[in-house]
Parts: sequence; structure tokens; C-alpha cells
Amino acid sequence: MGKGGMCDGEKKEAENMAAWLVAKNTLKIQPCQLPPLGSHDVKIRMKAVGICGSDVHYFKAMRVANFILKEPMVLGHECAGIIEEVGSEVKHLVVGDRVALEPGISCSRCNICKDGRYNLCENMKFFSSPPYNGSLANQVVHPADLCFKLPENVSLEEGAMCEPLSVGIHACRRANVGPETNVLIVGAGPIGLIMMLAARAFGAPRIVIVDVDDYRLSVGKDLGADQFVKVSTSIQDVDAEVGEIQKAMGAQVDVAFDCAGFDKTMSTALNATRAGGKVCLVGFGHSEMTVPLTPAAAREVDIVGIFRYKNTWPLCLELLESGKIDAKRLITHRFGFSQEEVVEAFETSARGGSAIKVMFNL
Amino acid sequence: MGKGGMSHGDKKEEENMAAWLVAKNTIKIQPFKLPPLGPQDVKVRMKAVGICGSDVHYLRAMRVADFIVKEPMVIGHECAGIIEEVGSEVKHLVVGDHVALEPGISCSHCNICKDGRYNLCRDMKFFATPPFHGSLANQVVHPADLCFKLPENVGLEEGAMCEPLSVGIHSCRRANVGPETNVLIVGAGPIGLVMMLAARAFGAPRIIIVDVDDYRLSVAKDLGADQFVKVSTSIQDVDAEVGEIQKAMGVQVDVAFDCVGFGKTMSTALNATRAGGKVCLVGMGHSEMTVPLTPAAAREVDIVGVFRYKNTWPLCLELLKSGKIDVKPLITHRFGFSQEEVVEAFETSAQGGSAIKVMFNL
Repeated sequence: MGKGGMCDGEKKEAENMAAWLVAKNTLKIQPCQLPPLGSHDVKIRMKAVGICGSDVHYFKAMRVANFILKEPMVLGHECAGIIEEVGSEVKHLVVGDRVALEPGISCSRCNICKDGRYNLCENMKFFSSPPYNGSLANQVVHPADLCFKLPENVSLEEGAMCEPLSVGIHACRRANVGPETNVLIVGAGPIGLIMMLAARAFGAPRIVIVDVDDYRLSVGKDLGADQFVKVSTSIQDVDAEVGEIQKAMGAQVDVAFDCAGFDKTMSTALNATRAGGKVCLVGFGHSEMTVPLTPAAAREVDIVGIFRYKNTWPLCLELLESGKIDAKRLITHRFGFSQEEVVEAFETSARGGSAIKVMFNL
Repeated sequence: MGKGGMSHGDKKEEENMAAWLVAKNTIKIQPFKLPPLGPQDVKVRMKAVGICGSDVHYLRAMRVADFIVKEPMVIGHECAGIIEEVGSEVKHLVVGDHVALEPGISCSHCNICKDGRYNLCRDMKFFATPPFHGSLANQVVHPADLCFKLPENVGLEEGAMCEPLSVGIHSCRRANVGPETNVLIVGAGPIGLVMMLAARAFGAPRIIIVDVDDYRLSVAKDLGADQFVKVSTSIQDVDAEVGEIQKAMGVQVDVAFDCVGFGKTMSTALNATRAGGKVCLVGMGHSEMTVPLTPAAAREVDIVGVFRYKNTWPLCLELLKSGKIDVKPLITHRFGFSQEEVVEAFETSAQGGSAIKVMFNL
């Protein structure tokens, strides 16, 4: 496997430019030297890169959980582009192919990789998770097996949307969403909205979405939620809100996806879900949480964890190709790849609200 | 199905006596009238009844979670006895058969019953869960399909032990314990100890047990734990203890059973379990818990709830018959069925410590 796009910022004659996070709130477009092309690698010219909440978090805090930025790092990992060069052993891609990239390079040798749960690999090299550089750049080098050719009718921006969409797909699989699964989604941000699209694609007959923000709820409704409920940030309101949610659902909640990740949202999700159901914790709001765990366990409401995704790109592309999922509507803002625009793009994404997915076109 | 042994205490000519919880800390042996025998019922003369932590909790607090004792209630639900009478449609049991009783009568009509998860039935009638009377009595009437004939070599006390053992069996099934599952058990009380016996019967190759109490740890070691670790009640010690647990295990923890149910024990269990593993919450200590939920979810450590059991008696009896499980060492104290002994038995059980399972012989 190739080195996957890691590069240095030192050599000034490099043509390749990238968006480097050099300090808190400080992004600079600077050269990024690409590694040599390995026999199983491809070189991709980046065309579409989306901003993720984690990119914004690194931008603001120089860390996410235990990943701490100790030196400048290229941001970005939701991406798609055009093949410019292929390694000698690459058979399934040719120059000119449009591809969506799966960011993480797992080791493929450890037991958890061989068991198929490679998203949990301890030696994962993931775009823009320190110390590995990301893909908001003119070009990257990446293993060919992590590059998935886009169907004719799927655009590069949609290709970049495969990454967040994969989180929704993986969550629906882990939670076993199907044609009998009534779904509650807590949080109508980018991940909650994607979760809704994915749940519908998996056949969920009824989806109720909740949020504190009217605008996001209206987007949820436009994107196909059966009902929405406006909720508060106050833990005292859990019981009342659970009542409203169950009324809006009209049936029992089989699976709830917490796409926010706070005490309030997990408590709501746990209490709203039927006995024997599941709550998927997708959003990573707070690390420690105070939740009514025992009443949930006493109803055998299981809590399913979600970390990134595995083996999701083929299904994402299939769903985008067939139109079962339309991810384009989540792209609310677009920017070019210049110093000014990069900064403005991140500020826009950080504000949230009407900015759902901010996309770079390179 | 028959009415399952509910009865009144009014008629003084009644021969059947039972241990009634009449007020906090007040148990009185009083008459207990049996309902008529339905065609699908059997009448059982009780011979062995164990005391459960929930029985003690009702004695002390007149409630367990949302189940409140509003009027006097017969206590006890871990039981076995001898058939004295069979209803007209009962085919598989005859007078004189030794049987172990599964306490809970589910409705069998609701969707969750028909889906096989009858332990979650909302209309469950369960011995000694208000308002339904328990089985610490001379006799009860119970549906025949919930009475399981003891193999020749399985005693009545072992029959009564099927109830707590069932919790362990059900947990091992929900957590998918098998010959590759390295198990951590938090809490070496009666439930932790049956969990250990069950996990071994399910093939777990390595079992580590932890507790604050030296005596209980020594019992666990005698019963076959590979290693034990003494832990504290202090949340500050979680990280250090997780280190000791992993060292004692020598390999990764695949499944952890929290048989206590506090913030500290769940935090320990979550942090000690490998990515992709499971934590089963079995013990019901505190309702709300403060736990590192997000780091666990970010490693896809799932939390599996356990509520009582379903379809476990046949397997329990098979494991007792073959000797794969020996529950007899857990029975540490025995009492007869008299006013003085009943009071003393409950006090003994409430003290914990060296009292693991207190058993009545009637």
C-alpha cells in the first residue's frame, strides 16, 4: 500500500498546494509535497472537498478528543477527484476516472482488520487525523483500493458526500434498519440529515426528526422526515419531549440515532425507544455523559456505538446512482480554493445554522 | 393459562401459609389462599426458595424502581417444589414430579411475546413484583408450561437456583459468549458468580472477576475465576484498575458483565473492553449513571441490556444435570420456614458479605 498522501510542507518547489492548519483559527494555503507513487497507489487531482465538523473542531481547538495537533496539518477528508496517474499494479482504475475517496488506510494485518472491522484498526492512517495530512489540496496520493469510480450520473460533489453519507450507512447497518424499523433521529445537523436519507434508503417506514433549530427542522421536513418535533436543550424537558416524540411517531420507536451526543439527547433517545430497541450513538458531543442507563438496560434497549464506517462506498455510490439518495440538497455553500475563500469557508461552516455542508470546488 | 398463584390472605381456615411483606422490614407468615386450579395449571408444594437481592430491597424499601408495594405481598420467586395436583389439560407433568418454576407469566398475545422476547412483556405477572404475590409459601398454583421437571440428579435447591442462573444464561446469550470470548465480570456477588459459572459453561476461555470484597473474590477464585483483581469504590481509580484488569487478563477483554450497576463499575467495564466488544449491564445499582459513553461508542463498544431471562430453564437444567455448572457452592445459608427463621434469613441475606445465596427449605 502506498503512503496515502502524507507529504511535507518543506520543499518549496512543489507544485501541489494544500490548506494547512498552522495554529488555532489559522489556515494557510502552502505547498504540500506528495510522496512517490507506490505500485498500488493512484494520484488524484482533487475536485470536490467537503468540510466536516471535525475539521472545524481542529480549526478552532487544534484537537479532537485525544487527537492533538502538534505540528501543522492539512485539513479535509470528504473528497472526490480525477485520477492523474496510476501505480504499476493498479488494474481497476485508469487516468481520467472520476473517483470518491475513502479516507482511512487500515493496516490490513491485525486481527480486527482481518475480522472485517477495519474502522477500529489501531494503526489507522486517516486523512486529517493527526499526524496524517488531509486531502484539501490540489492533489493527493492514495491507495487505489480506497478509490471508488463514480457512476456516470454521480457528480464529484456527490462523490465527496459519500464520506458523511457512509456514517449514516454504517449506522443503519449496525442498528439493523429495515422496512419495519421506525426511526427517531435526534439532531438535524449534517449527520442527522444524512442519517435520515440513509434510514429511508434502508426502508424505514416512519422517521421522526428532532432539533432545537427551526431552520434545520424545516430542512429535515423537506428532505422527507415524516414528522419533526422541536426540542429544547434543557434536561428537565426530556419526559415531555419523549411524549411528543411518541405521539408524532404514532408507533413505537424501534431505533433512535443520537446525532448530537449530549446528556439531553441520549436521555431523550433512550427513554423514547421501545423495549428491545436500539439507540445508536453517532454524534460525539460530550465525552462523559450522565444518562438513565439502568432503566434503558432494564428494557433491553441496547446502545450501539458508531465509529466512522467500513465497506460503505460501493453502497453509497449505488444509492446515489439509482437516486434512492439525493445528497446534493445538503450542499448549501460553495467556495473556491484560495486563501481568502478557505478561511471564509471554514468560518461559514463553523457558524452552523443555515450552513449544512460547505463544499470546496477545486 | 391459569391465574398463576395469586391469592388472598383473608380466610383463616386456609392451610396454605406464606411469607408476607406487610410493611418496611416486616415479614409475617400468614395464610395465603390459593386460586382455583385452571386446566393448564399445576399446584406445587414449595420445597426450596432462594432469597434474591430484589426481595431484600422490597423488604427494606417497599419498592424496587417503579414497582411499589401498596398492599401486603408474598415475597420470593426463586423456587422449586413437588407437583401436588395437575390441571385437566396438563400432559407433561404428573403428581410427584420435582419441578423448577419460571416465575413470570407473560401475556403471550402482544407482539413482543409473539416475537419471543416475552421477558419484556408489559403485562408480565411476576412472582413478588407488585401487585403479584411471590412463592415463599407452602404451595402455589402456576401454569404448567412454566414448571420444568428436574432431572434425576438435580436437587430441589439446584432447581431453585435456576432462576438466578437464568440471568447469567440470558446475559451470555445476549452478549454472544463463546469459546473465543475473554470475559470480565465486575462484581462477585450472587449475580457475578452465576455469571461466571454461565460464562464458563458457554466456553469462555478466560474469566477475570473484580470486586471490593476479599472474601467474595476468594469464592470466585474457588469457583474457577482465572484471575481476580481487587478494586475500589472510588471513580478516580478507574484508569489504574483498567490497567490491572488488562494485565490480569493478558489478552483483550471481549465482553464485560457489569453485575453491580454503578457509574464506577460501568466506567471500568467500558474502558476495559476492547474496540468492537460488548458491555452487558446486568446489575441494577443506580438509575442514572455518569459514564464515558462517547469514548466507548467511538470504539464501537456496545452496551447490551439484560432484563431477567427468556427460554432459559431447559438449558439451566441441562447444564446442572451434566455437571457443567455446579451452583451448590453458592448456597451459603439455609433456613426453615418459620416466623423467626424467615426474619433471620432476610437479615442474613441483607448483610451480604459471606452470605451469597440464602435458601429456605420448606
